[in-house]
Amino acid sequence: MVDVAVIGAGQTKYGNHPSGLKGMWAEAAEQAFASVDRDFEPRCVDEAFIGSVAFGGGQLGNTAALLTEHSGMEGIPVRRVENACASSGFALRDAWMAIKSGQADVVIAGGIEKMNDLSPERRRFWLGVSGDTEWERLAGLTFPGTYALMARRHFHEHGSNHDDLVNISVKNHMHGFENEMAHIRKEVSFEKAQSGFMVADPLTLYDCCPTSDGASAVILAADHVVRQFTDDPVWLRSSGAGSDYLALHDRPSITQVKATQQASAAAYKAAGITANDVDLAEVHDCFTIAELMATEDLGFAQHGEGGLFAREQRGVRNQGDVCINPSGGLKSKGHPLGATGTGQAVEVFKQLRGSVEKARQIRDAEIGITHNVGGSGATCAVHVFGRDRT
Amino acid sequence: MKEVIDWQGYLAMFDEDALMIQSPFTLNGSIDFGSDSDYTTMAIAGLHLLFSRGIDITSVRSLPLVNTHAVKAATGVEVMSDEENDTPCEWNLLVGEEATLVFTNNLERDLAFHGPADLEALDPTFAEDMAAAWSRELELTHVSQGAYVSESAYREGANARLGLLAQHSGDALVWPPRQLDQDGERIPTANQALMARATVESWTKLSAAGAPSEFALRAPVLGGIQTVFVQFEQGPRGVFLVADDAEYEPTIGDQVSFVVRRIYAQEGLIRYGMKAIPTNS
Repeated sequence: MVDVAVIGAGQTKYGNHPSGLKGMWAEAAEQAFASVDRDFEPRCVDEAFIGSVAFGGGQLGNTAALLTEHSGMEGIPVRRVENACASSGFALRDAWMAIKSGQADVVIAGGIEKMNDLSPERRRFWLGVSGDTEWERLAGLTFPGTYALMARRHFHEHGSNHDDLVNISVKNHMHGFENEMAHIRKEVSFEKAQSGFMVADPLTLYDCCPTSDGASAVILAADHVVRQFTDDPVWLRSSGAGSDYLALHDRPSITQVKATQQASAAAYKAAGITANDVDLAEVHDCFTIAELMATEDLGFAQHGEGGLFAREQRGVRNQGDVCINPSGGLKSKGHPLGATGTGQAVEVFKQLRGSVEKARQIRDAEIGITHNVGGSGATCAVHVFGRDRT
Repeated sequence: MKEVIDWQGYLAMFDEDALMIQSPFTLNGSIDFGSDSDYTTMAIAGLHLLFSRGIDITSVRSLPLVNTHAVKAATGVEVMSDEENDTPCEWNLLVGEEATLVFTNNLERDLAFHGPADLEALDPTFAEDMAAAWSRELELTHVSQGAYVSESAYREGANARLGLLAQHSGDALVWPPRQLDQDGERIPTANQALMARATVESWTKLSAAGAPSEFALRAPVLGGIQTVFVQFEQGPRGVFLVADDAEYEPTIGDQVSFVVRRIYAQEGLIRYGMKAIPTNS
């Protein structure tokens, strides 16, 4: 079967972006086109998959066609992919499958969200729109509340504590500080993160990712056309995905995310690796407890030992077992929902090609993964990238 | 003086063939409702109390101050309005001038109840702010962002939400309701009431800033909203708000029970649901 490579990747800076949706997408696509080593034009793209949760609430229908129209790709098959915060993780998976199936040779996968052009009252829209509206939201839950329930239960079952979450927050802010594309480029002290404003007990402001605007795009190519575009591809070695009940109360455990376990097991198996082989992981840390649990579900720590993993600084860049969130993660880099999954892929692509800012380059990185979660774990996509094809 | 029973956050008194139930709060000297209570929630509590005493009621005649759909979903009891006089009802629900209700099957009797004198006084500012918030929520133009539960969706789930009715699927109970099982078979309609008692497995308190927009008007007045994640004795789990006046700081392992209260209002319709209170309430 055909192998798939990443030949280009780009994104906007995350944060309060001055452009509208069309401008943001054009910027990300332009960056991705320009990152391809040899001549690349939009007309080279056979098909496009674009993730977005709600497109800023302004254009819910035919959004992908509008974006390709504004990025020189009008006329190609295109669709919007929606899986909550994992929308573009699944767009990437769909793009990978399109090439794997032989239907296309060059595909663009991307994502976009405009979240900050709403009034403060309307902005609450984003807080829990992808949860179980009828049963969780009517019980007063937004995602900070949902993840707070998971955190408190994890503390109870496994002896983890809020300081473990503080360590994650401090680490991700440290990683993101050097990232020119990050929303919050600010280092945070342990003491400050420890005493943040309480959002959803036990989670404070420093446990929660920001509300970001952003767009991201990666260009994939089939093995038989890769050399037309680059001699330095990053191989997308596998794609794994899983799903689970939407509401926490339907799951057997709220301290594990089954969708992550399914997705990572499938992705590792298809790539022929284990968690021990991973050098860097872009992990979905919408809340610090999400990263703590993901380190367990992805196999970097034993179940129940995610707190210890954080305490021992095992996810710190060029210091621990594996670098967790070299970009700063959702916590620091930002979380423009639909753009996050392919934004993670942009980071892994650049890290594996050695093209990020020097201060945050991971030494000798060979294998990286992305972990993109929808909602509180109803959907998850994990991708394995490598310098080597197999 | 009759025995006063603390029941589902209200005060109740039996007198032979009548039950009086009232709010435990006063405002400026008059009995008044707590911040998420009204005649509907109190009527449901009263019917639960009558059931617990083995009194079988299928229909009640009442003035139109109670939400008949909510009462039916929570208790199975039909509430007939005074206009439906041709339908006989054994029980009558009389609404007091203040926050009191009387269930009686003997309208000939002279009912004279005397509740306790030491009711809890509500802070006038708090009560005024809450009343104003509910008033705004009840406006037809009030809509929320992001978690719209339409009237039809709310009504479809009402028996499970207000009556805690679960479905049988094999040996397991399923709640909230689900459509198909893994064999592709439709799971039967919910008909098994869960015991209104559960164990706290986790909890959180959302700040006003983190609360859903449906609660945005009241959360600042309440100082945030509290939610418990619980497991029922029969297996299913769920998430519930804590009743506004429960004065309860949850701990994992606590036993809680459930009472019907207002959840929020939208487009002129109050959504009712179960809220948790500690079992000693």
